[in-house]
Amino acid sequence: MIKTAYKFLKYDKPKTIGVIIGIVICTFLIGQQVGILTFLTRLMGGLIDNSDTDTAQIWIVDKITINVNELARLDESLVREVRSVEGVKNSYPVIVAGAIATFSSGKTVPVTLIGSEPPHFSAGPNTGKIAEGKLSDLVLEYSISADYYDASTFSNTTDLGTELELNGKRAFIRLQTIDARGFGGSYIYTTVTKARFYANYPQDKVNAINVSIKDGYTPEEVCNSINKTFPSVRAWVTNDLKKSTIRFVVSSSNIGTSIGSLVIFAIISGFFIIGLTLYSAAIDRIRDYGTLKAIGATNQYITKLILIQSFISASTGFLLAWMLLEGFRSGVAKGGLIFSLSPALLVGLFLITLIISGGSAVFFSIRTLKNVEPASVFRN
Amino acid sequence: MNKEHFCESCIAALENTSKIYKTGDTSVTALQPSTVMLKPNELTLIIGPSGSGKTTLLSLLGCVIYPTTGDIWVNGNHVNLLNEVELANLRLRNIGFVFQSFNLIAPLNAIENVIMPLRLLRLPESKAREKALEALEKVNMTDKQKNLPRELSGGQQQRIAIARALVTEPSLILCDEPTAALDTKSVSIVMQELKSLVSVGKSIAVVTHDNRLKQFADRILYVNNGFVSDTPPEEEIFT
Repeated sequence: MIKTAYKFLKYDKPKTIGVIIGIVICTFLIGQQVGILTFLTRLMGGLIDNSDTDTAQIWIVDKITINVNELARLDESLVREVRSVEGVKNSYPVIVAGAIATFSSGKTVPVTLIGSEPPHFSAGPNTGKIAEGKLSDLVLEYSISADYYDASTFSNTTDLGTELELNGKRAFIRLQTIDARGFGGSYIYTTVTKARFYANYPQDKVNAINVSIKDGYTPEEVCNSINKTFPSVRAWVTNDLKKSTIRFVVSSSNIGTSIGSLVIFAIISGFFIIGLTLYSAAIDRIRDYGTLKAIGATNQYITKLILIQSFISASTGFLLAWMLLEGFRSGVAKGGLIFSLSPALLVGLFLITLIISGGSAVFFSIRTLKNVEPASVFRN
Repeated sequence: MNKEHFCESCIAALENTSKIYKTGDTSVTALQPSTVMLKPNELTLIIGPSGSGKTTLLSLLGCVIYPTTGDIWVNGNHVNLLNEVELANLRLRNIGFVFQSFNLIAPLNAIENVIMPLRLLRLPESKAREKALEALEKVNMTDKQKNLPRELSGGQQQRIAIARALVTEPSLILCDEPTAALDTKSVSIVMQELKSLVSVGKSIAVVTHDNRLKQFADRILYVNNGFVSDTPPEEEIFT
């Protein structure tokens, strides 16, 4: 039956091409939007994603915050006090503060300074995101990091040795990160001391505390203990804070609604473009389907024949859309918009393509062809 | 409701069968209660003017519509009692169709058109191809097996349609104006082929306007205003 379905498609090339183009456009748009959403959600949790997974197993923040990008100040003394809680192996101060970077060209850019203690640099950057230089270089005098993809934002290179000013104070890029970025700002990593220095940040305050836990304890257990001991702050398992941040930003910024509505419109328009083209193709071949029924084909056979045609079109359209998405992905990656077409995303996209194509075939073509009477072949 | 078969020797039979089409409040009687028997080794010509009920008679015999009243029997099956799937299966196994406009499946080439009923019967592909080639040989069309219908003349398409009709070895072959679109030479070839099938025990019914076909008929049924008769109407229906 696959061969017969293929012959039906091949015979009516213009309509088949129309259906495939409809599938390609629809699948590409959905894949593109979901890819961009993936990228944005990764940025939303960037502060956490860029942190060191061994020393930042728990984040302690103020009680109200549910978004890691909006951290209030905590007393620095808490960093030491937390160490007394059962299950806590060590705790590390984190400073997140705004600053203005000024480059030799005169361009000024707002940046986010993230300071944590050497040698672990619990708040990041994690070693997987280092493009050039060594993490230990951040302890050098005036030493900071900058991201490879921020070169265009800075209108300046971020190569090692680049000199700049942070809030009017001299700084040198000694470490280049790659894709260690956050939502709505360029991240500059350094030590706690230098972060305080550049941001004029009070000595007795921190923005967050990272906690590592002892063997034999789970992050959830230690979080509960910290929350009971220090009711004025809130301890989060790292991944939970990331999820909470993404949920908050997606809902409060309407990004989810915006991208979601684009995806829904792509699905609806794809459904109608593909369905009406399939319908038109089925009407063109209605005599053939009537003949098949007259000579003994059942509605089940006709349904299978149409669904296989729709499956072949969907698969071809999906493969072409995948190629286009890969092209789009590699094109925008050069500008720093990085997302991956994960197997789960591709499988999901393929299933959506099949549902759109199969659903529109059932809704438009199969319903019509089921009603074709075999007796119609006797009428000319 | 089991009913006794009223014509055991018939391949197909209508017993007091009528057909009324209803559209809204309007009813049109396409076929008055009629009894028709089609037997083996017989080529039956069904003659009548346009709108007389010939096609309805053929559709009833071909089990593509249900009767309004009366009973239909095909190869011992009481058609009235069968559902649509069973009817499709009955048509597939017992009836071959030849249509006025050939009705070959346009995207499929000649041999694939002939194979199609065998695929519906789920025959293995190699066996189906072998049988399709045999059917094409019977109508001398093996050399055109790879051609699409649009690449064939009307006569050639009709011969492919005949090959498709006989490939499942049905006992009943129903032809709707099979020569209407053909030239004189093709008419003779097609009718000779149909006639040859009668000699191997099949029953063939041919609906036609064409006077030239009378010479091939073993029996003629006249249809006029929905009535079926063995004798021509008073006014000769041919002009």
